Amino acid sequence: MSTDTASVELVGEETAENVARAALLAALTGAFAYVSFPNPLSPAPVSLQVLGVFLAGILLGAVWGGVSMALYLVTGAVGAPVFAGGSAGVGALLGPTGGYLWSYPVAAFAIGAIVHGGVRLRNRVPRGIPRLVGAMAVGTVVIYAFGVVGMSLVLGMTLQKAFVAGAAAFIPAEAFKMAAAIGVVRSDQITAE
Amino acid sequence: MTLSYRPGDSLAHRLDPRTKLAFQVAFAVAAFAHTTPKGLLALSGVAGVVLASSDVSAREALVEYRFVFPFLLAGPLLSAAALGPPWIRWQAGFDSLLASYRVVLVLFVSAAYLRTTPVRDSRAAIQHLVPGKAGQLLGTGVGFVFRFLPVLQADLRRIRDASSARLGDQRGLIDRMKLVSISGLSRALSRADRFALALRARCFSWNPTLPPLSFSRADVPVIVGSVGLLLWAII
Repeated sequence: MSTDTASVELVGEETAENVARAALLAALTGAFAYVSFPNPLSPAPVSLQVLGVFLAGILLGAVWGGVSMALYLVTGAVGAPVFAGGSAGVGALLGPTGGYLWSYPVAAFAIGAIVHGGVRLRNRVPRGIPRLVGAMAVGTVVIYAFGVVGMSLVLGMTLQKAFVAGAAAFIPAEAFKMAAAIGVVRSDQITAE
Repeated sequence: MTLSYRPGDSLAHRLDPRTKLAFQVAFAVAAFAHTTPKGLLALSGVAGVVLASSDVSAREALVEYRFVFPFLLAGPLLSAAALGPPWIRWQAGFDSLLASYRVVLVLFVSAAYLRTTPVRDSRAAIQHLVPGKAGQLLGTGVGFVFRFLPVLQADLRRIRDASSARLGDQRGLIDRMKLVSISGLSRALSRADRFALALRARCFSWNPTLPPLSFSRADVPVIVGSVGLLLWAII
């Protein structure tokens, strides 16, 4: 492709800001994949990846939250070590846990749409606990539905067995992430408008 | 992360990134369509050729994806187990074992892509493949995520170190998660604001200059192979 100098079309101010935020939240989700804590309830450690999905939906709204998570997937697919355990590549998207990854843009979109009451971003992030919890519960259901169906397709198992192998040990930890997300959104340090 | 782009002169290094992306998809489709002992044996041969022509050893690829192995083992074990007589269902376990093995083959091919394709080329391929502003948004966004990932990782590492130096690791799980994510997020957001300002100051536009991509003669057999794999999957 040659350099195009005849008609340079600048990206609008608002779009530039949204692209920057979407990229940074995608990168944060990738960085969260490396942060794991011992889980008091099960042997599987808790990683913060899903918290990144929650925050992208809540802070960026439906459209840009979804874009942010799509960026996360594409970046991982072409080689950034952003998936669980620092893995990357198209293979991770087609592997046993690929269903979870595919769900992230959908979940972020759903969370954003519920929190902001539609696809338009409100000026202030709503802080009501029932709405936030409801949105994240829907997001969690989306993530695990995609994840379990994906695992059963990829590993050729029944849905019940895929649930036992891939979801049962991880679901309780989601409650911790929701509590943390609410704390983050209601904290005075975060002023996303 | 053990596998990332390394310059080289292998056959796979010389291919166009679009060809490699297409081949990965075709290979995965074929592996999912022919999950039989015979089909997977043939595809193992193909995966072996792919690894050999991209200077990646099978061991490196397996280490890269060690994280998925618990799931790949759990699949066949759980499928074979039954809650009543006959307790073990060999056929279901065997089918799931084949499914696990096909994932390993797909991961091999994906590892070869990671080793032989620089980020710039991947980004250009995305912008060529996805038309219009959506493609440009994805392309530039991917570049930004690559740029900021190590920065945010370092942020989080510093936050965790500072927190554990102050006995933060003795607090409850939710408190610890909150601490890391509030500081991590507020840094990420302030970086985003500064970055957006910098982008505007530098005339961030919809028409950037991309590295040139062109198909060469080396691409022809790989494209033919991809089409062949797809046809084999459909028939």
